[in-house]
Amino acid sequence: MLDIKSIRADFPILDRVLPNGKKLVYFDNAATSQKPQCVIDAMSNFYENYNSNAHRANHTLADEASSALENARSQISNFFGAKPENMIYTSGATEAINLVSYGWAKNNLQYGDVIVITEMEHHADIVPWQELSKEKGVEVRYVPINNETFTLDMEAFEIALEGASLVCVTHTSNVLGIRNPIEKIIEMSKEVGCKVLIDCAQGAPHEKIDFENLGADFLAISAHKMAGPTGIGCLLTSTERIQEMGPFMTGGSMIKTVTTNGSTFKDGHAMFETGTPRIAEAIGWGAAVEWLDQFEMEDIHSHVHEIAAFAGNEMEKIPGIKIFGNPSNKDSSGAVSFLHDSIQSQDLALLLDQGGYAVRTGHHCAQPLMDALGVPSTNRASFWIYNTKEEVDGFLEHLKYICERFS
Amino acid sequence: MSSLWPEHIDDIVEEFRDCFDSMERYELLFEYAKKNPNPLLEEDWTEENQILGCQSRAHVICSLDEKGLFILKSGADAQIVQGLMSITSIAVNGLNPTEVSNLTPAYIEEMGLKAALSPNRANGFLNMFNRVIKEAKILSET
Repeated sequence: MLDIKSIRADFPILDRVLPNGKKLVYFDNAATSQKPQCVIDAMSNFYENYNSNAHRANHTLADEASSALENARSQISNFFGAKPENMIYTSGATEAINLVSYGWAKNNLQYGDVIVITEMEHHADIVPWQELSKEKGVEVRYVPINNETFTLDMEAFEIALEGASLVCVTHTSNVLGIRNPIEKIIEMSKEVGCKVLIDCAQGAPHEKIDFENLGADFLAISAHKMAGPTGIGCLLTSTERIQEMGPFMTGGSMIKTVTTNGSTFKDGHAMFETGTPRIAEAIGWGAAVEWLDQFEMEDIHSHVHEIAAFAGNEMEKIPGIKIFGNPSNKDSSGAVSFLHDSIQSQDLALLLDQGGYAVRTGHHCAQPLMDALGVPSTNRASFWIYNTKEEVDGFLEHLKYICERFS
Repeated sequence: MSSLWPEHIDDIVEEFRDCFDSMERYELLFEYAKKNPNPLLEEDWTEENQILGCQSRAHVICSLDEKGLFILKSGADAQIVQGLMSITSIAVNGLNPTEVSNLTPAYIEEMGLKAALSPNRANGFLNMFNRVIKEAKILSET
């Protein structure tokens, strides 16, 4: 059982009063989560006491910074059930997916090979494959969603899988909150010898991810949606896959030798981590997973699900509101997308903001999904560990008031 | 024209300033959205007159009447943007294009709608306003 009051006390921003005098109610967690004080402190402590570049000098601070960077890698990879040597720091899930595209697929897929993605992917898991298709002539197949259940059409997935080399699918939709049957998807893909990339940007804050047990080839994660800082994430992969990868970005740190005749590259994750590492961010992320580790991820999911299901059910009772997704499904995450039939989504978001409620509006970087849903945008309230039923009560009251007054 | 905005919108600015709170202000803005003096009908919304960088759909056409005075036609699917553009139309229609090109969005701020002017917000009014000023400059030079 989570002690939400105590959890909220860890997040100083939750006491924020907005310029209009309203207390902040933060329901934009699928975009980014807030950061607990321990993460802020860990990053400040680095800059205040041992800021130095990592891996590059023979002095005390450099040694401390290097150790902290690698300790964070161990903490984070351990949290996700992966080997530290197979964890590649990236700027986030987007760069992790691009790394698979440029570092693995470009070297291992040929003209005519098939990549299967879905209509509910974030642009980060669509555009890299479209670009690869232009460059290499690979075919990109899109698995549709069922517009009534908002779930993936698994029969279509089975058909799309025929002759495919790589499946790229989101763990949880950032728009619908729907959790995909990734275990089944991985199993079906493996049966036909297909590699699998799971975009875990939305899944990682909501459930325990065990990379080794899942059996995927690649897993992309962003720190900032799970209490960590912005600007860092990782790609988790296997020893076999990492050996098949070639450099993506090149420069310092990733080389063994550089001569005027050419360069040789380091092995393992070092080959993909060129330039000065994101040291403070890695330390902050390490502190975030340590903070999260005090809880059971199942408890976090239950709490978030309970709030999202309650919000979704109550919102649906408000005349004019339509929900996209199925927040009542036990696997659904905390994202609840909705629209009002006469109040335009941008207007609705601004009016909610007047009450202090931070929700997201737009296509959520998922335009193919918007096309499938037949709407240009949605409003999205997304909940996390520190949100409360009382906040949702206030939100529902304000939403009802807006709908009555402005429709 | 006063130093900051045309005098004939003083009453509108006052009306907004007198609102009890921001929700009342937005309610009034929704009413102004319906009072657009020169609506640009949806069938006339084209890529050419679309405002880029705006998540809602917003379109403007700027022209001069036979006396060389400014006419702003606008259309938006978001009522808040449309309300702001209606008031802007009331402000600029009938001015000469040089006067329009010197206009600033100070009246919006004075009306208590500063949030609408943030370039970080996706509502697009500022993009629309800047487009009107740019077109007014071009029209004043022709």
